Amino acid sequence: MEILDQLSSPTMYLICGAIVFFVAAVCVVFAVRAWRAGKAIGMDTAVLRRVVTSSASFSVLPAVGILLGVVALSGALGIPWPWLRLSVIGALHYETQVAEGAAEQVGIHLSGSEMTAGAFSTIALLMSVCIMWGMLLNLFLNKKYTNRLARPAGKSGIASFGDEAMTAMFIGLVSAYLGSYLGQWISGNGRFTFSGNAVPLCTVLCAAAMMALVTFIAERRRLKWLEDVSLALSMLFGMTCAVLLQRLM
Amino acid sequence: MERDKIIAQYERGTHLLGKAASLITLILLIGAPFAIGGYLGAMPDVNAAARGFAAVGLVWTVSSVVEFLVYTPMLGSGGSYLAFITGNLINMKIPCAVNARDLAGVKAGTKENEIVSTLSIAVSSLVTILVLAAGVLLLQPLQPLLQSATLRPAFDNVVPALFGALAYKYYRKNLKLAVWPLMMMSALFLLIPSLQSQTSILILPSGALAILLAWLKFRKEKKQA
Repeated sequence: MEILDQLSSPTMYLICGAIVFFVAAVCVVFAVRAWRAGKAIGMDTAVLRRVVTSSASFSVLPAVGILLGVVALSGALGIPWPWLRLSVIGALHYETQVAEGAAEQVGIHLSGSEMTAGAFSTIALLMSVCIMWGMLLNLFLNKKYTNRLARPAGKSGIASFGDEAMTAMFIGLVSAYLGSYLGQWISGNGRFTFSGNAVPLCTVLCAAAMMALVTFIAERRRLKWLEDVSLALSMLFGMTCAVLLQRLM
Repeated sequence: MERDKIIAQYERGTHLLGKAASLITLILLIGAPFAIGGYLGAMPDVNAAARGFAAVGLVWTVSSVVEFLVYTPMLGSGGSYLAFITGNLINMKIPCAVNARDLAGVKAGTKENEIVSTLSIAVSSLVTILVLAAGVLLLQPLQPLLQSATLRPAFDNVVPALFGALAYKYYRKNLKLAVWPLMMMSALFLLIPSLQSQTSILILPSGALAILLAWLKFRKEKKQA
């Protein structure tokens, strides 16, 4: 049996599928507990339902993007392992980089033609080890860290600043990415050459414009359902614009 | 009183479950390459893996620490356990939880936020698992669509589309706060193009600047009140 056939064999599906199934079960348990706790402390069922529908509708498009990562990696690693990695713990931007780095360390290029059984199991181990730290930190420090964050406000009122701090952090996160898209276009092929890839920046602008329009309509007409799907709609529009822009540029 | 009791019980259970799930997932993920090695008849080369870790893993270790410190306060304990188990934080879980928090009208640091973010991350993870499972099942017929050169830019730009939409949502309410981090980050990426590959690390200084500005504004408003 060829190595890629072995890597996509029923045994591989069984090993990887069992882990995916376990994580799916964990998600179900957490969701049910959160729902019940929400109701028990008097949260409105309609609000909880909105959280579920908006999160589900929002997640479909990025999930399709992640599926592309599975396709991209399947040529070298078979289907089950990338499927597992991108369903559990992995991140789209991380997997390819680490897989390539790991392949280099075992003396091959990341491709199906060069893959061997030994190289694969080493690459798989490295991919797991490199990304486990977030989970390890959670295992040992989550309770201490969240308890510390939840301490009551002192004289400075720092706890009541928590919400603003989180919004600010998120703005910082978005700003870092927006700055990188601007840099990609203006200095992507050398400082201030304006010849880099402009598609990500244009996609940002298109998605933002769509968000502005959808928000305006939703607020004006008081359409809660439209608000719930505004992010998914704006992303879809931005991604459609990316296709058109790529053809024009 | 009843509410406090329910919350305390919920939190205890969350930590217990979160720790157990993290530990089991860790064991499964580290054990899987060895199980696969046994099946393939070639165990992982631990020395090569250690060399590889020194070469590519250290950056991700730093990134994981930053992610833990930054995202745990946003997600709360339950959301954090789940998000780090299921992955895809920046491109999916964080925006999803923040969006859900806004829609539900709850504030960070509250128990309601903890519940909303846990629920949103759980749902988002389940949808991802389902989409990927369906995609894997249908990979053969979907292959032409997924690998189509025409559609490629759409999937390459999922994250810009996501952050574009969110930028409008957050910037319009906090324009003054957003200007400086955006200018600082843009200047950095324009002047040092090689930083493009370090964007996830640069979230930290950008976020720190935004928090500092928010703190100054918060203090000013408190004094005026």
